[in-house]
Amino acid sequence: MNSSLAKLQLGGGCNSVSDSFDPGIPVEIGKIEKELGHLWESSDDTKTRASLINFIVYTEDTESLSADTEVISAVAGKHACRAILIMANPLAPVSEAKAWISAHCHLAGKGERQICSEQITFRLDGDSAHALPNIVFSHLDSDLPLCLWWKAEFPEPLDEKLWGWVDRLIFDSSTWKNPAHQFSIIRHLSSSDTTGRVLCDLDWTRLHSWRFALAGMFDHASAFPCLSGVESLHLKCAPGKRTTGLLLLGWLASRLNWKPSDEVDSFITADGKMIPFVINAVPGPNLSLVSIHCGEALFELELSESGDFFESRIHAPGTRDTRQILPAGRGKIADTLLAELSRSGRHPLYTKSLELILPLIGK
Amino acid sequence: MPTEALRTNPLREGLTSRTMPDPCTLVIFGATGDLTHRKLIPALYNLAADGALPPAISVVGFARRDKSDEVFRTELEEAARKFSRQSLNDELWKSFASCVSYHRSEFDKFEGYQDLARKLDELDAARGTCGNRLFYLAASPDQFEVILENLRKSGLNKAREGSWARVIVEKPFGTDLPSARGLNDLVQNAFEESQTYRIDHYLGKETAQNIMVLRFANSIFEGMWNSRYIDHVQITASEPLGVEGRAGYYDKSGALRDMVQNHLLQLLCLTAMEPPAGLDADSIRDEKVKVLRSLRPLTGEDVFKHVIRGQYSAGAINGKRVAAYRDELNVDPESTTETYVALEVNVDNWRWAGVPFFIRVGKRLPKSGTEIAIHFKSVPPVLFKATGESIDDNVLVIRIQPDEGISLRMSAKMPGSSLRIEPVKMDFHYGTSFGKATPEAYERLLLDAMSGDPTLFARRDEVEEAWKFVDAIHAAWATRSDDLAFYSSGSWGPGEADELITRQASTWRRL
Repeated sequence: MNSSLAKLQLGGGCNSVSDSFDPGIPVEIGKIEKELGHLWESSDDTKTRASLINFIVYTEDTESLSADTEVISAVAGKHACRAILIMANPLAPVSEAKAWISAHCHLAGKGERQICSEQITFRLDGDSAHALPNIVFSHLDSDLPLCLWWKAEFPEPLDEKLWGWVDRLIFDSSTWKNPAHQFSIIRHLSSSDTTGRVLCDLDWTRLHSWRFALAGMFDHASAFPCLSGVESLHLKCAPGKRTTGLLLLGWLASRLNWKPSDEVDSFITADGKMIPFVINAVPGPNLSLVSIHCGEALFELELSESGDFFESRIHAPGTRDTRQILPAGRGKIADTLLAELSRSGRHPLYTKSLELILPLIGK
Repeated sequence: MPTEALRTNPLREGLTSRTMPDPCTLVIFGATGDLTHRKLIPALYNLAADGALPPAISVVGFARRDKSDEVFRTELEEAARKFSRQSLNDELWKSFASCVSYHRSEFDKFEGYQDLARKLDELDAARGTCGNRLFYLAASPDQFEVILENLRKSGLNKAREGSWARVIVEKPFGTDLPSARGLNDLVQNAFEESQTYRIDHYLGKETAQNIMVLRFANSIFEGMWNSRYIDHVQITASEPLGVEGRAGYYDKSGALRDMVQNHLLQLLCLTAMEPPAGLDADSIRDEKVKVLRSLRPLTGEDVFKHVIRGQYSAGAINGKRVAAYRDELNVDPESTTETYVALEVNVDNWRWAGVPFFIRVGKRLPKSGTEIAIHFKSVPPVLFKATGESIDDNVLVIRIQPDEGISLRMSAKMPGSSLRIEPVKMDFHYGTSFGKATPEAYERLLLDAMSGDPTLFARRDEVEEAWKFVDAIHAAWATRSDDLAFYSSGSWGPGEADELITRQASTWRRL
C-alpha cells in the first residue's frame, strides 16, 4: 500500500483543541453520523470508505492529540478502521463535550483508488468525561471488533459495561507511574474475564523481537542444554523501565519453570537452585542488553545503537564463538501498534509471566 | 539430535505457529542463473530480515563459472537490491552474505561433488549446520540427471544419523508422462520420496493457500460448493508477456505443458478437492490426487471439441507493437506450439457431476492476472421476471495474482422508486485488510523445505496423474494441426475459445 496520505476535510481550522492541531470539521455530537454521511457524499469516486475494526484511543494528555492522530493515520494505512480519538480532562472546571470529524485516505496499490478511514475526535472536559461509555457505544461501527488503546492509568473501579465491550485492550505498562498497582488491575481484568477479551501490553509486544532472538540462540543442539544450567542473568534497562526487564525475566521464568524467590532479585528453579538477576539502569532504550550466564557459556543479546538490529553473541567452551545480526523490529509506537494489530490471538504467556513478576515489581 | 532440540526448546512456545527450520546448508545448483538471482536469494534475504532463518545456516552456490566468494556475493547483493520485496539493509545483508559461499565445478565432474562434500563438512563444523543439507536443483532440467547421479555417487544424498538430506526439484517435472516417470525414477535413485520436494510456486502463494481456508473454515461456502449451486468454474492465467528469451524451451513445451499440467491443475485440485482428513501433507495430497483421477479424460475427437489451442500473431501490448510468435527469436517460423489454450474439463465425481471447469491460459493477453471464478447458478426466473430486469449470477472470485484477494458479486436494488437491479461487488484485498506484507511464494516454500513440511510441494503421483491427463490431449493434437487458432497480441485469445464457453451459456470473465 502506498503511504501517501490525504486528509479528507471540507472545512476545519476553527474551534480546534490546541493552537497547532487541526482535528477536522467541528460537528454537533448528536449529528456525527449524519455529518460523516455528508463527508462521503461530497467526496469523489476515487475514495472508498473502509472499516475492519473500531479503533479507539483514549488519552488524558491534552498535548498528544496531534501525535495520536499521526498514529491513527499510520494504523489506518494498514488496518482500515473507524477511529475514535477521545481526549478527556476529568479535572477541568467546566463541563463541555466537543467533536470533530476527519478522514485518513491512503492510495491502494498502484491505482488512483484511495481507501479512507474515518476519525471522530472528542474532547470531554469536566463531568463530560463520565460520558465516555456512551460516547463509545453510540459511535461504533456495528459488528466490528473493538480495539481500545488506553493511554492513561487505569481508573478504579473499572466500568464493567465499557470494558465488557472491548475485544482487544491495548496499554503500555512502560508508561505507568505506579506499575505495581496498575499490573494488579490488569491481573484482575485477566482473571475476571469471561468475554474472551485480549489484553495487549505494548511493552510485551516490543519484547517479541527480544524473545524471538533469545529463543533462536538456544535452538542449536549444543546451546539447548544450557537452558537447564542458567546460573545468573544481567539486563540493562533505561532508568524507570525496570518493569520491561522484569517482563522479559518473567517470560524466561515461565518457560523454564522458575518461581520468584523470597530473596531479592532472584528466581528459584524447580530443583531449588537460586538464579540471581541484576537489572542495571542505563540511559537509552527501555531494554538494551540481556546476558545469560550458564557455567562457562555466555549468551548475550544486545540492541544496536540504531535500534534496528540485535547482535547475538554466543561464547561456549569447546565451540567456535558465534555472532549473528537479527532484526529488532521498529521502535516507533505506530509500528508497535501495527505489530500488535497484525498478530491475532491472545497472549497467554504474558499473563503467566505477569503472575511470576508481580511479587518482584514492588521490591 | 538438532531437530529434537528445536522442537523442545521451551522458549519457542507462543512465538510462532510453525516449526522453526533446522540449522542447515542450502546448496543451489545453477547458482549463477536467473532463478537464483531473481527469486531464491531475495527470498532468503527476506527470511533473514524477518528473523525466520535458523541461527545456523549456510548457502553454497554451485555453478560452472569461475568466481570467488566475494564476486559471487557482490552479484547476489545486486540482485537482492533489485528483486527483494524489502529494501536491503547493509548491516543485515553483510550478516546474511557471510553465510554465502561459492563452489565452482562442472555439473558432470565427480571430483566437484567430492570437494563439495568436504566443504559441507567444514561448514558443519564452522557454522553448526548439523549435517543437514538441502539441495536445490535450479539448473536447467537437462542437468538434473548428472547432478542427481553425482550426488548419489558422492554419498551426499544420504544424511548422517540424526541429520537429513533433501532435494528441491524445480519444474518442469518432465515433458510428458514417460519423461516425468523417468525423472521421478532418477530422483528416487538418489532420494526417497519423503526427501523430495517438487516445487510449484503457485502453491506457495497466499491466496492459493487460502483456498482451503475459504472453503473449509467458512460454513457459508462449503455447503454450496457443489453441483447443486455451482454452474461452472473458470480458472484463468493471463499474461501480456511473450516468450521473453525462453523460446528454446517454450517452443518445445507450449502453454498446456508449461502452465496447465502444473499450476492450473493444482488450482483446480484445491478448488475441487474434498475436505482432507487432516492438515498433514499426505492427507491433503491424497485428496488432490483423487481429483486428478476423477478428471474425465480428453481423447481423440473430444479434444477438438473441448480444447482450443491458439498462437499469438502480431498486435499491440500497452500501445506498443509486438511481433507474432512465429517471428520471435529462436522460434520455428512454422511452429504450431500453442501460446494459448482453453479447456473444458469435467470432474466426474458426486460433488461436481455436470459442472464444467473452464481453464484458459495465454501469453500476449491484455492483462496479467490469475484467478479462480466460481459462477453460481441463476435464481429461478420467477420473481423479477415481470420487471424485465436481468439478474447477474453470483460470482465468487479468488484472485491469485496480482492484487491477491477475494470478491463476491451479488445483485442489489438501486436506490429509487422503481425496481432496478444492479450487480455490486464485495471485495477483500489482502493488501488492505492485513497490515503485513504478503511474503513471496519462494520464501514460504524454502522455509517449508527446511522445516520438512512437504504440504505445498507436489507428490510423485500428483505429477504423473496430471501428465496422464495432459498427454492424452497432446496425443490428439499430434494427429493434426488445423485446429490451431490465431489471435492478435493484446486480444483476449481466439474467438473459438469464446465459442467453447458460450455452449455453457456463459462468457469468459473480464479480468
